[in-house]
Amino acid sequence: MNPTLGIFIVILLITLAITYWAAKRTSTTADFYAADSRLTPAQNGFALAGDWCSAAAFLGFTGLTALYGMDGAFYALGPLVAFCTVLFLIAEPMRNTGKYTLGDIIRSRMQTRPSLLAAIAGTVVVNFAYLMPQMAGAGVLVRLLTGISYDWAVVFVGVSMIVYVAFGGMLATTWVQIVKAVLMLSAGAAIMAMILAQVHFNPLTLFADVEQKYTAKYLLPGNYLKNPFDQISLGLGYTLGLAGLPHVMTRFYTVPDAKAARRSVVWVMFLAGSFFAGTTLFGLAAADFVGQDAVRAADKGGNLALPLLAQYLGGGKGTLGGDLMLGFVAAVAVATILAVVSALTLSTSGAIAHDFYVNWFKHGQVEGRKEVWLARMTAVVIGVLAIALGILAQGVNVAVLVILAICVAASANFPVLILSLFWRRFNTGGVVGGMAVGLVSSVALAMIGPAMRGADALWPLVNPTVVSLPLGFLGAVLGTLIWGRDLKNEQRFDAFLLQVHTGITLK
Amino acid sequence: MAREEAALEAAYGLVRQLIAEKMKYLVPMTILFMGSYIGLTVLAGFARDFVGTRMIGSVNLGFFLIALNYLLSWILAISYGFIAADKFDVLAASAATEVSRAEATR
Repeated sequence: MNPTLGIFIVILLITLAITYWAAKRTSTTADFYAADSRLTPAQNGFALAGDWCSAAAFLGFTGLTALYGMDGAFYALGPLVAFCTVLFLIAEPMRNTGKYTLGDIIRSRMQTRPSLLAAIAGTVVVNFAYLMPQMAGAGVLVRLLTGISYDWAVVFVGVSMIVYVAFGGMLATTWVQIVKAVLMLSAGAAIMAMILAQVHFNPLTLFADVEQKYTAKYLLPGNYLKNPFDQISLGLGYTLGLAGLPHVMTRFYTVPDAKAARRSVVWVMFLAGSFFAGTTLFGLAAADFVGQDAVRAADKGGNLALPLLAQYLGGGKGTLGGDLMLGFVAAVAVATILAVVSALTLSTSGAIAHDFYVNWFKHGQVEGRKEVWLARMTAVVIGVLAIALGILAQGVNVAVLVILAICVAASANFPVLILSLFWRRFNTGGVVGGMAVGLVSSVALAMIGPAMRGADALWPLVNPTVVSLPLGFLGAVLGTLIWGRDLKNEQRFDAFLLQVHTGITLK
Repeated sequence: MAREEAALEAAYGLVRQLIAEKMKYLVPMTILFMGSYIGLTVLAGFARDFVGTRMIGSVNLGFFLIALNYLLSWILAISYGFIAADKFDVLAASAATEVSRAEATR
């Protein structure tokens, strides 16, 4: 049997056992959305690492570095730096203010219906923009690795995530992420050790080798991100967008208090950060040992650089060690996708079942048991929709959606979130204005940019964050001013700040 | 009632003090990491040859600064943990005490 398939089936069985265990412990809404807030900081740190490192990080960073040199290293650094923003400004206030979703925070600050609706829109758009390329990526990857067809691969990934989320809720999702993080970090550590052994523990050799093979230009910036403003957009998108990604931020609800939320960020910064730093060396090693031509021949975008490198380090094609290493890395890549799509499904289900149906439509008047049932059903529906979108997306350029997700998160969700937490005069008009302007400008600019229209682009940047983020803030401020003073809301702000900074809710 | 409001006012005052204390540390720390990271992307975009200055062997200034950014993020994370435990948590706890006093006089 194909070793990838064998290793993958073992991982699948483990995750199903976890789901069975988690399902027996998931009965209330707090269990379903937040694992009853009983995780330890270390557990949440591993889960965050599993959640945040998508296949784009696991396979993409290595591939980008292998093919384009320093720009790949920039892609890998951003997601770590992003956690500084989260640690300083977002993680603890999130934990103190909300319950299950981003919408909870906006709702407890504004206590108005239009602002909740705007928050729901932000979450749903970001999550689907993120989910669709993950599903399409899963289809390509699973087909490539196991030989089953694209459509079946998408169905298989979709059904697995539905099972995890609908039955096991946040607890199952968390442990799937933890298992995946442990596998990913072990694969990274093994590959790193083997690379270091190859170069006699002197990584500088790698730099010298690739410079000799691919000229000094390879080690310069600008090989991938040709437009300087794209370089800056990438940086801004990461550092401020992560804080607006609902599926990652809701992880802070799974720990008991702000101190635990803080510690889990420090955990993820070391866990994921070392992996990201590793991908830069993996990429250089892939360019050196496997060669850019072989990497490109396997996949134009370089996404198979890491599996190929693992195969080379294990002993090469056709050897037992090579096949095992390739199988292991490939299986971890599939597990990576499963962990991320599960989190997205759960968070979207929170926005639709909890924010929209229960709090907006039913004014919070839904009995607990019924809310859990609704949340599970919503997860199933979202999963089926994701499968359909994934199948439709075959052959479509989905790269633009990944950029869009992070761009909308940075340009719409982030300004609204940060102003809600820190600006007394910020009001419902500001939430709606910021969300609308951030969303529309991101979508419009991404659609007319080169990622979608190629040479016919009406506007030069692939990633519009550098423009849409200031526009989002502008929309939020103008919306606030046009709406006029909301004195009740401003008076409540002292009590809200008390909650943001200490976690105390006044009775 | 008056005592309750006074205790609540005291709690709000402590929160304002906590926010001022947070600003004192977080503003410079945020400027530091945003400055060094966004600064690096600006250099990478507009000063490509400068970023290519060779440092050690074939490792150029860009890779050097990238490594420095990793270190900086980790150092800031650890420092934040200590500062928060030392300064912020103490103020948050006294605000919590004031709130429970306010609620007790009710």
